[in-house]
Amino acid sequence: MSQRSSPGPWFAAPVAIFMLVCFAAPIFIVAWYSLMPSRTFGLTGDLTLENYRSAVTDGYTRPLMWSLIGAATTTLATAILAWPTAVILHRYAGRWAAVASALIALPIFISESVRLFGMSVFMMPRGGILAGTMNAVFDIQIGSILNTWSAAQIGMIYIHLPFMLFPLLLGVSLIPADRIEAARDLGATRWQTFREVELPLAAPGLLIGMLLTFVLCLGANAEAAILGGRAVTVITAAIEQRFNYAQDWPMGAALTVIVILVTALIVLPVLSRLDLNRLTRR
Amino acid sequence: MTRGPHTSALQALWIVLILGFLYIPIVSVVLASMANTRYMRFPHKVWSLDAYRDAIASFTTWQIHSISFWIALFVVILAVVLGTLGAVAFARYDWRGRGVFQRLLVLPIFFPQPVLGLALLLSLNAVGLAPSWKTAIFAHLVWIVPIVTLVISIRFFGYDPAQEEAARDLGANRWQVIREVTLPALWPGIFSGALFAFLLSWSNLPLSIYTSGPDTPLPVWLFSRTATNYSPLVPSVAVIGTLISALLVLSLALILLAAKRVRARRP
Repeated sequence: MSQRSSPGPWFAAPVAIFMLVCFAAPIFIVAWYSLMPSRTFGLTGDLTLENYRSAVTDGYTRPLMWSLIGAATTTLATAILAWPTAVILHRYAGRWAAVASALIALPIFISESVRLFGMSVFMMPRGGILAGTMNAVFDIQIGSILNTWSAAQIGMIYIHLPFMLFPLLLGVSLIPADRIEAARDLGATRWQTFREVELPLAAPGLLIGMLLTFVLCLGANAEAAILGGRAVTVITAAIEQRFNYAQDWPMGAALTVIVILVTALIVLPVLSRLDLNRLTRR
Repeated sequence: MTRGPHTSALQALWIVLILGFLYIPIVSVVLASMANTRYMRFPHKVWSLDAYRDAIASFTTWQIHSISFWIALFVVILAVVLGTLGAVAFARYDWRGRGVFQRLLVLPIFFPQPVLGLALLLSLNAVGLAPSWKTAIFAHLVWIVPIVTLVISIRFFGYDPAQEEAARDLGANRWQVIREVTLPALWPGIFSGALFAFLLSWSNLPLSIYTSGPDTPLPVWLFSRTATNYSPLVPSVAVIGTLISALLVLSLALILLAAKRVRARRP
């Protein structure tokens, strides 16, 4: 069939129109709002970059930094936890590995609020699941990290581990076993094999996992709210606060645009290099 | 290099530790739900299922579940229709602009969800629409349609379009080709797509929280009650909500299995 007469565009049209209305248009509206004078609610004011200037001078770089730090730490930690897990699950492919993979996937479908709530009752001081058990069984009193940034950080790693693991599992499955054997036979050390053979071959999966984790964490808010006790303000909380309590839509919109720009800066270069056909065909 | 029994044991231990990390909070929710005291004092002096009785008797429980259910139902229907059409364009035909379409379509997956929710909230305000469970449907769809499209596309890449031409050569008309050849081949992909759509919508917090307005779906209710006004009712509702989604999935799988048996028995 020649490309010109292909019905492809007709099938793409409904999805494309939907995305235009519900994804592209809202982003455009937010971008427009961010150029409106501070604390106005209409879309017809004079265009100004004042909100972006205040975003920097009014200390909104701090929430953004916390979100970036949280996203970077989580991406690194989940990658370190997921790599050996993926390698082991791939090596022992079979019934047990399938059961283990299914068990790891399952929590994705349990609501974030349920799992974070569980994490918080586990961490609670004195009467929490961990502290209470330690006290009752071993007669040890332990403190609690609940309501600190570390707790929020652990929650983020916990929530996003499956998002890192599954793309990585796909990546690790791209490494032919004989390639590792060959490297070892040629005298490569464990570290050399990892760096020169395994890592480059699994790179597409690792890249997708890291991208997904980083971006999801950039907006993460529930972890900081439930586990972090709002010990630090993340960027989403800052935007929400501008929208709801401060009633300063243009400022909130400017912060939203900044997050979108950071995301685009990270996502677009990686995405343009990935061959989606090859990855979904596997 | 040889792998001794120690290495395998260590590897098994690692997997168990990872699973423990993932499941400890879920087990904690179940444990917390069996208290009858206002404040969490673990281990409980009295283990009871009173909280479940209260939860089932409470009108709020029914309300938040039905809101979540209606949102998820509409998300499934719309996501499957849009996702199937999208998958045809994504994987079945080779057309000019397909590469761009594929990349643009996966963009919403790589987008911070709460930020998307806030952007939608502002846009709704701008055009004068009041947020409600209906607007939450469209918020969910922005994120779920690309996922469903990918899930169905994976199935499509393993599909040979030559079958359609063969059927046409044998005298089948366009509708018969779709019904007898294309849909049966796609059915498993559409089914998993629908399942994904339901589960992801049912459990979604970051989009619902900003776009559902005064209608509170289950995850949003749990989130707000965890932060303030905690009681054993909260974990028991969490367990009930999770069990309902598990039951729905399980019964759907059973119906499918039964249908397969019946079809196999037919000559």
